[in-house]
Amino acid sequence: MKIGIPRALFYYQYYPFWKTFFESLDQKIVLSSPTNKDLLKKGLELCVDDACLPVKIFHGHVANLIGKVDTIFIPRIISIEPKEYICPKFLGLPDMIKNSIPDLPDIIDVDLNLYKSKIMFFRHFIKLGEILNKNKKQILIAFNKAQRVQQRFEYQLIKEKIVPQDILSETYKISQNEIFSYNPSKLKVLLLGHHYNIYDDFISMNLIMKLRKKNVTFITSEMVTNKIIVEGTKNLSKDMFWTLGKKAIGTAYYYLERKKVDGIIHVASFGCGPDSLVGEILEKRTRRDFHIPFLFLNLDEHSGEAGFNTRLEAFLDVLEGRKYFEDNIPTYG
Amino acid sequence: MQKCTLGIDVGSVSTNLVLLNEEKHLVKKVYINTAGNPIKAIKNGLIALEKELKIMEVYAVGTTGSGRQLASILVGADIVKNEITAHAAAALTYYPDTQTILEIGGQDSKIIIIRNQIVIDFAMNTVCAAGTGSFLDRQAQRLGIPITHFGEIALKSKNPTRIAGRCAVFAESDMIHKQQMGHKIEDILKGLCQALVRNFLSNVAKGKEIRPSILFQGGVAANAGIKKAFEEQLKLNVAIPNDYDVMGAIGAAILASNHVVSRKKQTNFVGMKITTRNYEIKSLECGGCPNCCEIIQLFADKKLMATWGDKCGKWSSTVAVS
Amino acid sequence: MRITFPHMGNICIPLRSLFENMGLEVISPPVCTKRTLELGVAHSPEFACLPLKINIGNFIEALEKGADTIIMAGGIGPCRFGYYGEVQKEILKDLGFDFEMIILEPPQGHFFKLLQKIKLITNHNTIKDIVSAVRIAWKKALLLDKLDLESSKIRPIEKIRGQTDKIYRDILLRINDINDKDEIDDLETIISDTLYDIPTNGQTPLKIGIVGEIYTVLEPFVNLNIEKQLGELGVEVSRNIYITDWVQENLLPSLLKPDKHKDILRLAQPYIKCFVGGHGQETVAQIINFANKGFDGVIHLLPFTCMPEIVAKSAIPRVSQKHSIPVMTVILDEHSAETGFKTRLEAFIDMIYHKKEVGDFAKMHSGN
Repeated sequence: MKIGIPRALFYYQYYPFWKTFFESLDQKIVLSSPTNKDLLKKGLELCVDDACLPVKIFHGHVANLIGKVDTIFIPRIISIEPKEYICPKFLGLPDMIKNSIPDLPDIIDVDLNLYKSKIMFFRHFIKLGEILNKNKKQILIAFNKAQRVQQRFEYQLIKEKIVPQDILSETYKISQNEIFSYNPSKLKVLLLGHHYNIYDDFISMNLIMKLRKKNVTFITSEMVTNKIIVEGTKNLSKDMFWTLGKKAIGTAYYYLERKKVDGIIHVASFGCGPDSLVGEILEKRTRRDFHIPFLFLNLDEHSGEAGFNTRLEAFLDVLEGRKYFEDNIPTYG
Repeated sequence: MQKCTLGIDVGSVSTNLVLLNEEKHLVKKVYINTAGNPIKAIKNGLIALEKELKIMEVYAVGTTGSGRQLASILVGADIVKNEITAHAAAALTYYPDTQTILEIGGQDSKIIIIRNQIVIDFAMNTVCAAGTGSFLDRQAQRLGIPITHFGEIALKSKNPTRIAGRCAVFAESDMIHKQQMGHKIEDILKGLCQALVRNFLSNVAKGKEIRPSILFQGGVAANAGIKKAFEEQLKLNVAIPNDYDVMGAIGAAILASNHVVSRKKQTNFVGMKITTRNYEIKSLECGGCPNCCEIIQLFADKKLMATWGDKCGKWSSTVAVS
Repeated sequence: MRITFPHMGNICIPLRSLFENMGLEVISPPVCTKRTLELGVAHSPEFACLPLKINIGNFIEALEKGADTIIMAGGIGPCRFGYYGEVQKEILKDLGFDFEMIILEPPQGHFFKLLQKIKLITNHNTIKDIVSAVRIAWKKALLLDKLDLESSKIRPIEKIRGQTDKIYRDILLRINDINDKDEIDDLETIISDTLYDIPTNGQTPLKIGIVGEIYTVLEPFVNLNIEKQLGELGVEVSRNIYITDWVQENLLPSLLKPDKHKDILRLAQPYIKCFVGGHGQETVAQIINFANKGFDGVIHLLPFTCMPEIVAKSAIPRVSQKHSIPVMTVILDEHSAETGFKTRLEAFIDMIYHKKEVGDFAKMHSGN
């Protein structure tokens, strides 16, 4: 069977797992095209107006797969960590797709719900295997294999401080390899935001490449261990129930408290509910308690690249300026 | 021969050129409508500076503004800088005590926070045009008031009308409503100034600590009503630099001068031949992938000089910038 | 300790009564006004949803009047409301206010927990005092719901415009002021009597249901007084949620929550399969419920960028078609202007009338 996987949203987190799992069960994987203008246009047409950019783009990716596959894999990602959610739109994503896109093929929308326990991750894939008419043994073998690949993927991001595209796309890393020259005066920034925004080069207007070209070292939440995130979030007065928000805040505090970064770039899409609050907490604390420059980049389908570049360049100038004067001038306050 | 540095700020509304002498004093400034044709605007700007350029030697050129890349290719700039850094550089050269810059131009507005002469924070308006010069232009036009008189009329108001709405569209409809209710023109104008400043402070400047000295620059600084409204709402004095309307260009010139001097470089400036060359811009849609990037090619006297606009680098990397 | 809380429609009346009867000093948040909104908008994150902004305005106004303790509800997500308190604390702290915020976190933070907390603070309350305070507050809530329900039936058919509202306002004040159990019981009959005394024009009004995110449904300042506006356009309005429902849902421990709720939610299954946070699933269920009850149309209210309601909105075209009920979605934010709103309401009603006429016409000719 040909299973379509939209190259969007949790593709950036789970693709190695999905691919290995399905392929081990003799399925053929078809990925949608990388995000592009046509795909965005299609997404805007289909999706309910008020959704955020990544969800609109997801609609475009689903549409892109119609006619090419037997079924499309759109798991209902309710929760990937105990007592946490992603956001309401993820809870209702398969519903939104079915409500908005006509002529869909079969949709595999098995719940992924680890709210009560992480054990459910295994059950989710058992159920998936059962839908594909596989027996327990086959599923178990595929699951174990996929888990090893996934672990290696996650480990590689942390160890080599690279981004998912470096691994997922065959051409990506090579084209950027020459930029990886060591430069001692490099700026170091935290690049925070949902993985499906910062790693989709169309959505983020090639932010990763732009930072690399300018010789800026960046840390994302995918490059740090879970331990760091737990450490970083321990001072929150209330546990954060959005997984991606928690990762951003945890990464930020860990590095801020150890004074290990020159600045923070927070990327969020227009209309993102969790980030409207997570961003506020991040920005307020970064400025008030740590006096570190903070850049908020807001993305939507109308964002112009010119304004985006101006902000980014000016921000890097600010960081350079501070670094240069750091020894001569006492900290402002 | 006296030496000078050239700064060019290509914005969507106006293109500004300045010449500074080696002491960074302004020799001459030129203010030209971009009118959708930045190449023509730059050419005309240089023609307007012809007399000075004949007797002075340009040792550095800097460009800024949304058309900074194009301008730099055209004139052979030594440095290309974003307008935030440029504005701050200009302000700090003449007013080293500045801690806050409020800048409102034709299409955008920004706030720059400075401490100890270093930019530590900034923000630009996001989506909305209600906080910019073109909004005021439009409303002045609607009310039949020349924009140059806007400020002084607004200052006469004793009982400003309250104009609601954070967004241009809403503010406009509310203003029309108030006009129909028979509010006095000066009260409406003052109300507009207050609304714009309120929007600016709650939108662009949200969460920023505004400390004196405060410098107000950009084209809208000419409007005394806005300056007053800032002072009233901030309860602080607001200063306006002499050349408030060309601070971006001045900044670009200063940054270029610093760059060339510190690196002991020769300028890349191509000279006045720009004004006689025949430039042509061609655009085409690349069909290489579904991104369908709009590729822009610049020809000088039919010779391809530069290509840009593609996301992948297929086009822009094939032609060397001369 | 001078306590305050967010202003959400008339809910502040029973809340105030409850706290005062337990011997606490209450600074009721002033009724939401333009100033509340402006204060909220100026100090809240730009892309936060509207209720958070209005709350900030409420809190600032109450703190200015001398409140020092804010009582706020919490939540476990995924809707943003669950994190409001945390963010609001940060914002108010940044503004330099000195206050304490008590956030009632479910499931452990239900209402009884709060009562416990208050008992510790005030100390001289007996269980009996508390029970009596709760009882009076609950009765007031019931009265308010009765008032809303019954006046919405009379308002569209009153002979002289504004009569219902005059009585509505009078009774509201009385509910606010009285504190005696017998007087409250009397008021219940007074409400029915005075409202039924209003001369009516004998017409059958259109029936429109209001669904959506609770804050926008319950707070008239935010929804531009939609119930009154519709009433004056000759429409009988029914909401999907009333004060007593909200209290049962949000402040009671789950074992005491009513069952009928779950039955209604089941209606949403074909369109939204599971809980999506907030009232997203419920919105869809209630639209169908209204359709089943023979309503002529539904208006769906949500704050700009509200996540659960956006999911609901994606289902509305299908729901509306399948259950042949017209649904209009109105997104509310700080830019909502009354003139445009009224035009839309009128157009929606005209459309329903037109549909009815055409429908009846079709029936006549098909011989049914």
